Amino acid sequence: MEILDAVFYLFALMIVGSASVVVFSKNIMYSAFALLFTLFGVAGLYVLLNADFLAVTQIMIYIGGILILIIFGVMMTNKIRGVDIKTGVSGKVQVYSAGAAVLVLGITMISIFNNTEWLIKDAPALDATIKPIGRLLLTDYLIAFEAASVLLLAAIIGAAMIARRKKA
Amino acid sequence: MIEQFLTELQKSLSLFKPESALVITFLMTLAGDLIFRKSEKLTANITLIGFVVTGFFLFNECNDGSTTIFSGMLAVDSFAKFFKIIILLSSIIVVIMSLFSKELFDGKRPMGEYYMLITSATFGMFLLSSATNMIMIYLSIEIMSISSYILAGYTKEINRASEASLKYVIFGAVSSGLMIYGISLLFGMTGSLNLLEINQVLATGDLNIVTLTFSMILIMAGIGYKISAVPFHFWTPDVYEGAPVTITAYLSVASKAAGFAVLIRFLRLGFTNLETAPESETWAMISNLDWQFIIAVLSVLTMTVGNLVALWQTNAKRMLAYSSIAHAGYILMAVAVMNDIGTAAVMIYFFVYMIMNLGAFFAVMLISNEIDSDEIEDYTGFGYRSPVLGIALVIFLISLTGLPPTAGFIGKYFVFGAVIDSGLIWLAVVGILNSVVSLYYYMKIVRNMFVRGVELEQKDVHFSPGAIMVLVALAIPTLVFGIYFQQIVEWAKNSVQMFVSN
Amino acid sequence: MTVGLEGYLAISAILFCLGLFGVITRKNAIMVLMGLELILNSANINFVAFAKFGGMNIDGHIAAIFVIILAAAEAAVALAIVLNIFQNYKHVNIDEVDSLKE
Repeated sequence: MEILDAVFYLFALMIVGSASVVVFSKNIMYSAFALLFTLFGVAGLYVLLNADFLAVTQIMIYIGGILILIIFGVMMTNKIRGVDIKTGVSGKVQVYSAGAAVLVLGITMISIFNNTEWLIKDAPALDATIKPIGRLLLTDYLIAFEAASVLLLAAIIGAAMIARRKKA
Repeated sequence: MIEQFLTELQKSLSLFKPESALVITFLMTLAGDLIFRKSEKLTANITLIGFVVTGFFLFNECNDGSTTIFSGMLAVDSFAKFFKIIILLSSIIVVIMSLFSKELFDGKRPMGEYYMLITSATFGMFLLSSATNMIMIYLSIEIMSISSYILAGYTKEINRASEASLKYVIFGAVSSGLMIYGISLLFGMTGSLNLLEINQVLATGDLNIVTLTFSMILIMAGIGYKISAVPFHFWTPDVYEGAPVTITAYLSVASKAAGFAVLIRFLRLGFTNLETAPESETWAMISNLDWQFIIAVLSVLTMTVGNLVALWQTNAKRMLAYSSIAHAGYILMAVAVMNDIGTAAVMIYFFVYMIMNLGAFFAVMLISNEIDSDEIEDYTGFGYRSPVLGIALVIFLISLTGLPPTAGFIGKYFVFGAVIDSGLIWLAVVGILNSVVSLYYYMKIVRNMFVRGVELEQKDVHFSPGAIMVLVALAIPTLVFGIYFQQIVEWAKNSVQMFVSN
Repeated sequence: MTVGLEGYLAISAILFCLGLFGVITRKNAIMVLMGLELILNSANINFVAFAKFGGMNIDGHIAAIFVIILAAAEAAVALAIVLNIFQNYKHVNIDEVDSLKE
């Protein structure tokens, strides 16, 4: 077994393990911290897939931004002093049937994916992805890039307006 | 190479004026709101002027020929133009409606953000109705959704509104998450995000049908959510009931129009043979997926569930929410025809639906301004308290049922005509049965307003002249287009041409 | 390296299902959001894996970048709405927020 394979399995284990904690943990704080490891593991997979720029973006935006937002959300909506940072789950029957359904879905998905002829081509050697990404963002995807800025502005305005407390 | 790109960019920008005008309106509203914080109606006026300018550019867009701009990300064609005009008109009407809304102005709420978000949602819908790239579709769905999540909860201290926006954002985010997973699978099979290139790969025909179906289910979850097709409809009643009524009207017309535009374009560009087909002939499918059957089943489910559940409703807003689900079902019926006549019928129906649905919501809003309730029970005798409003609402409801001589009849006539023409008789029968059912719950409102409560001595209600003017301005076209409809039909038939070749 | 496309797709499928399970079973709105982040990440793994094995197709990377941007915007808006719900209801459990039922 090559060393890269070992690294892949390490990251895979990290992703699946921590994602399970996210989903199954009763303590929402544990879930939020387990999400950190999931996101980090995904960034690791990006590195293995030669996506250097995305790996850094993942760490900066997902971990540095979204995860922090989520942890803020957790802390602001739970009574911090109380012990009840627990999250309710739906009834037992619902959980088990949902679990069974999702398990079946997962197995079917993996078997479908293994039998699909995906588009596979030989990859040209590429030093870094940042240059082609930058080029594409400002040529072919220029309009998407600009539209995303409108979206972010609308999201900032809206989020500020909704979360703002009323003037007393 | 850079020169070539710049000339193309200039050409693209010259065809992008309506959307640019919307973005400028958005920024102007923002600036106006920041500088003149005190002035109440200023932001509304800036937005209205911006919309009118947008409309001016939109009408002046050259009609002949269709092309793509920004390296194949957006199509500029008469199909998109038609839907953009519908979206813009309904945005204008909704902004005017908002000026009369009592619930929005309660407690001196700052209104700048409201108009900004309507503008950005409209911008997203414009992009959506012309997007030809999967990333662009996803992005524009999100622009329109994120703006409408906040608009749904704009009256944030009211529990019902904040609940509506919570449900909207949670379900909406999940459905768009499913959609992007589906897009990623499609990307894996075809190696492209551009619909035309996807079409070319699909045409070779050696894609795994199971994976393709799976990815289509996921993508339809995203689009179906926007047009509230059953089984992706469950958010609709709660959100429509809880949101401010202006936003409910906006979501039920503009947001749906954009959703249908992208659905039709996605099917046409992705899955059919792009040779221009004769008008009445079904587009030739290039994949093994039986889209006609899938859409027909969705349509039957959507209209039946919408109509049957609407029967039990006691709240007018909630009833109109289910009725709008039912109308999405009728429109899906015309989509299932999958030819140019069907598409024209969708467009005619949408034009009519815009006027009558906005009118009905405007009437419901005026009543709730007066009596602080949306319960149909409380409408008792209202027809005598304000005859103008009563008669206008009756016109809208008759039109929503689809009876002559109203515009609603014309819409239904063309939809059913297209369906029967294509040989889907069973679908047409289900549709007609559904229309009969819908008569009952629409007439329930009419009965409460006019037949019952005659003996009650209630004082007359007088609305502001402006409100009456808007109401009449919506009621008259509902009648007029029921008789003189030729122009709209011509316009829709000339607008079905979509950008199809590379 | 011997792990091929299938390995990455399997990870993404597992992550997708875990996320979906979280979305379905959890009541807390923030937990649902975390489940959603798992789904979005699984889609991103797909995009990047297809990009690499489909001949270093940078389109996949661009798609992933847009997904990250939109996830950030969506999370911000969703959390603002959740905070507002918390101010109104003092809890954020989705199925107890149900004044809108007939």
